[in-house]
Amino acid sequence: MDIMARAADLMEKEIAFCLATVVVSALPEIQLGRKAIVLEDGSLEGSLGTESLDTKLSGLALKAFKNRKRQLVEIDDGVQAFFDILTSDARLVVCGAGHIAVPLVRFARSVGFRVIVLDDRADFANPLRFPDCEVIAEDFTLALREMDFGPSTYVVVITRGHVHDVDCLTEIMGKKMAYVGLIGSRRRVRIVLEILEKQGISRKHLKKVFTPIGLPIGAESPEEIALSIVSELVCVRRKGPAQAKTLRAAVGIDL
Amino acid sequence: MNDKEIYQKLAELKDQGIAVCLATIVDTVGSTPREAGAKMIICADGTLYGSVGGGCGESEVRSSALRSILTTGKPELIEIKLTDDIGNREGDVCGGTMQIFVEPLIFHRFP
Repeated sequence: MDIMARAADLMEKEIAFCLATVVVSALPEIQLGRKAIVLEDGSLEGSLGTESLDTKLSGLALKAFKNRKRQLVEIDDGVQAFFDILTSDARLVVCGAGHIAVPLVRFARSVGFRVIVLDDRADFANPLRFPDCEVIAEDFTLALREMDFGPSTYVVVITRGHVHDVDCLTEIMGKKMAYVGLIGSRRRVRIVLEILEKQGISRKHLKKVFTPIGLPIGAESPEEIALSIVSELVCVRRKGPAQAKTLRAAVGIDL
Repeated sequence: MNDKEIYQKLAELKDQGIAVCLATIVDTVGSTPREAGAKMIICADGTLYGSVGGGCGESEVRSSALRSILTTGKPELIEIKLTDDIGNREGDVCGGTMQIFVEPLIFHRFP
């Protein structure tokens, strides 16, 4: 299998890897464009051309993995490679398939999130309403229990009622994820958070929930609210949760 | 287009036997419209997928890609300077420079 086909295959399987491409070479035996793949355990697939280059490559790629930085790296005198760190796509789980979910999913898709939509009402969790997504019509708790979570999972809780919000958050609060946001008026979200606290979820954990959800752009219509939520997702993905919190704090919306 | 979609598109174009170049930003200094890792596919007929920064330097990338596909068959590392004077109406005034690696990936299958 050639390296590009292998790269596509790894992306399909959602395995993180570093794709190194020679972009500068002063050595005639090392051709521009040569590629090799390094996996997160340091194992190498393909070759840049010489054993000594390959050995150095593995070590350097592991360093690049640590800071997730795509960069130009000098591997040896006169040989530079671009390290492309390719990790699985950010994945958005939308709990609640109501009127905000429709534009939300559309915007999230167009900025590169893979999307799963979940609702216990089959007429709302309907693939016709959500093209290019995985749509699950099932009880919130049961569906979330079955789902894989990880550092590139984003969750938006926008169900039709606070009881369902509580169900969703109870199920996922212990899991590892990049972001969780909860929609609602200040009253509604306070009720939800109080119930969760009574159930024994620590205040420190609950602080991580972005609520009321979305960056403060003055959104009113469903589309505007969806845009504000997706803006927050982009901010967290590109700059981290601290920056999103700072933006919220700047206008005093954080609970 | 995200990386996965770029790779899927490359696979699709390969199946169709279409000659393409992949342009990847490999290094940036100063203000540039996109960061290292941004990619664009340039087909031999000029069709583009993805973006390495929109208008900024795109025509230079296209020229390089077509030279690479049609003439030399070799990759190129090109530098795009976005440091035009602000008075230049058609200029790129972002302020930075970017290194873009342009590589031919699929060649025509001649019958």
